[in-house]
Amino acid sequence: FLGAGGGNDIQWCFSQVKGAVDDDVAEADIISTVEFNHSGELLATGDKGGRVVIFQQEQENKTQSHSRGEYNVYSTFQSHEPEFDYLKSLEIEEKINKIRWLPQKNAAQFLLSTNDKTIKLWKISERDKRPEGYNLKEEDGRYRDPTTVTTLRVPVFRPMDLMVEASPRRIFANAHTYHINSISINSDYETYLSADDLRINLWHLEITDRSFNIVDIKPANMEELTEVITAAEFHPNSCNTFVYSSSKGTIRLCDMRASALCDRHSKLFEEPEDPSNRSFFSEIISSISDVKFSHSGRYMMTRDYLSVKIWDLNMENRPVETYQVHEYLRSKLCSLYENDCIFDKFECCWNGSDRQAIFNRTVTFFLPPLCSIVMTGSYNNFFRMFDRNTKRDITLEASRENNKPRTVLKPRKVCASGKRKKDEISVDSLDFNKKILHTAWHPKENIIAVATTNNLYIFQDKMN
Amino acid sequence: MLGKGGKRKFDEHEDGLEGKVVSPTDGPSKVSYTLQRQTIFNISLMKLYNHRPLTEPSLQKTVLINNMLRRIQEELKQEGSLRPVFVTASQPADPLGDNFREAQPAFSHLASQPLLPADLVSTTPLESCLTPASLLEDDTFCTSPTVQQHDGLTKPPPPALQPVKDSFSSALDEIEELCPAPTSAEAVTAPAATGDSKDPPSEPNVQKAEVLSESRRDESKLMDPLPSNFEITTSTGFLTDLTLDDILFADIDTSMYDFDPCTSAAGAASKMAPVSADELLKTLAPYSSQPVTPSQPFKMDLTELDHIMEVLVGS
Repeated sequence: FLGAGGGNDIQWCFSQVKGAVDDDVAEADIISTVEFNHSGELLATGDKGGRVVIFQQEQENKTQSHSRGEYNVYSTFQSHEPEFDYLKSLEIEEKINKIRWLPQKNAAQFLLSTNDKTIKLWKISERDKRPEGYNLKEEDGRYRDPTTVTTLRVPVFRPMDLMVEASPRRIFANAHTYHINSISINSDYETYLSADDLRINLWHLEITDRSFNIVDIKPANMEELTEVITAAEFHPNSCNTFVYSSSKGTIRLCDMRASALCDRHSKLFEEPEDPSNRSFFSEIISSISDVKFSHSGRYMMTRDYLSVKIWDLNMENRPVETYQVHEYLRSKLCSLYENDCIFDKFECCWNGSDRQAIFNRTVTFFLPPLCSIVMTGSYNNFFRMFDRNTKRDITLEASRENNKPRTVLKPRKVCASGKRKKDEISVDSLDFNKKILHTAWHPKENIIAVATTNNLYIFQDKMN
Repeated sequence: MLGKGGKRKFDEHEDGLEGKVVSPTDGPSKVSYTLQRQTIFNISLMKLYNHRPLTEPSLQKTVLINNMLRRIQEELKQEGSLRPVFVTASQPADPLGDNFREAQPAFSHLASQPLLPADLVSTTPLESCLTPASLLEDDTFCTSPTVQQHDGLTKPPPPALQPVKDSFSSALDEIEELCPAPTSAEAVTAPAATGDSKDPPSEPNVQKAEVLSESRRDESKLMDPLPSNFEITTSTGFLTDLTLDDILFADIDTSMYDFDPCTSAAGAASKMAPVSADELLKTLAPYSSQPVTPSQPFKMDLTELDHIMEVLVGS
């Protein structure tokens, strides 16, 4: 039989929450990035303290067909340490800005993690067997007296408790004068780019002592600087193409075959300003905080302060779709400028599921088409989803209250002005310290990970 | 359950100081616009100079704030092309220096005529290069004697001044709402620095005078080139907020100092200490708490004198 109602509306339920319960947030615990790996089995988070925590999904329990596997801690390691720049007398933050997984090639998992200055390639491997029966060593490692060895034996592997080890395999350092905001792995799986405020560098995953500068927007005179790079990403299929966004709301698409230094863009995506909405803050709110290609590479999505825009790569002069995330903030921009919230960098993500029917014993359910839903965060621990096909949107809240497993989340509504209805929240009572900047969607299932300041929420759709 | 996503309409009655730009040519809303611009300018300055992080400040944030300041400055320049121009000693003949070449005139539609460098260079003698009273036009609360001295030189104030008061005070209230006291329970509160920038007023009129005096002084600040704060520098070009008149006629109280800055005018320029928000507030405070007359001596602290030195030495 078919899934709920025959329609494609997903009913989101609370599944899990990770992190400290107390309201007092330790600075180091602030989550700074969230990323599923390519299979969705692993979920990585990075925090301000430079740590990476990887959660692993339990293998599907054959007897429990009504829920997908839970995510449990798989590995925790210190990726970056704070450093000190002696030349400038400034600290280099250990905060993890981005994590990107490599596709799995063998038993081990690889990911790139970066702070402001240094990118590291980490290998995460499992060890569940150990050799026993050495001839010259005791089990505890002490060397045996050779005279006591009378027979020879072949050491054998015996099972042991699973141990997950993370080791840094490559350290890509000293290539960025400014703060790294993005890393993106190329579809050739051999190279990747790293972008800071003014430059983008191309690396080979095997080579750490050399990188190539492919974009440089630093002006000769720094006083003339008016625009910075805010995000960059490789095209998912075309290994010579990448895009980068700017603080002025533009996206440039570059082709590395055109020249060694891609200062001249192949395409420039920019929407003309709406004169009726012009204000002092027009430039700041147009600054793009995230850019993500769709699975096919035909579209890309950008996030600026108030909206999410979908661009067709074939049309440069305006986006094909625009979704307002929290338009009610437009009249509050001055206050948000004052308290710096206007500079918050929200990310956005596509749903990753492929349209397929999944047969799981007696349950069949459909998943929405790939890249048909976009998700992004807002304030008050709200996050938003927009369905591109039905044009419907929903606001949900990540909160420990009122969240019982398998209870459908109640939609939220913000009252912009006028009479506040029951259950609506007025703009003035929004908590701007509770921001959801990072969200991630499982590549294959309707599972989402939503990071509040220091907690990670996992939501799943309701399975009948 | 997905709700129908209707586009929210911006409530046009909820204007005030936020959101949409108000055309500066409207009568009462021009004051509101000017106040809004001034508030944003002050906030931007605070952000640039108040930040003392252990880590490097975000370049993106710095660039965006700088662009904001440039835009406001550009706008004032264009408005200033209709009025006598205030020029400081350090101002080069061509104010459209390198610093402004890249500035985006975001509000160029507001300029009534194209901006020419010649318009901006004042031909009036140095003694009368004072705060133009035309900038004081909209001010009905200023009690400074300097205003009366220049009545003859400047444009007469606009006739519709009385009706301005009402919307003006409401605009002022809106500013106050923007900058609530730090003890406010609201999540969206201004940082303490902005809240403290006005001395606690004993009555509304005094506060209005403060804001306007600040506004006048700040506009004189705007004529200076922007500091290059992308690298970590201690340039404080914004903060030369004293008119030449004040320098020439005021008695300088040197009792506090070990050295006499006046005698070293030709010599080494005093080293500019990095300006903190407190110092900025102190420089604003004398002007906000009492009206300034040339004949009235006033105390200046060391930081203000450094500012004067910067201006005189022309750094």
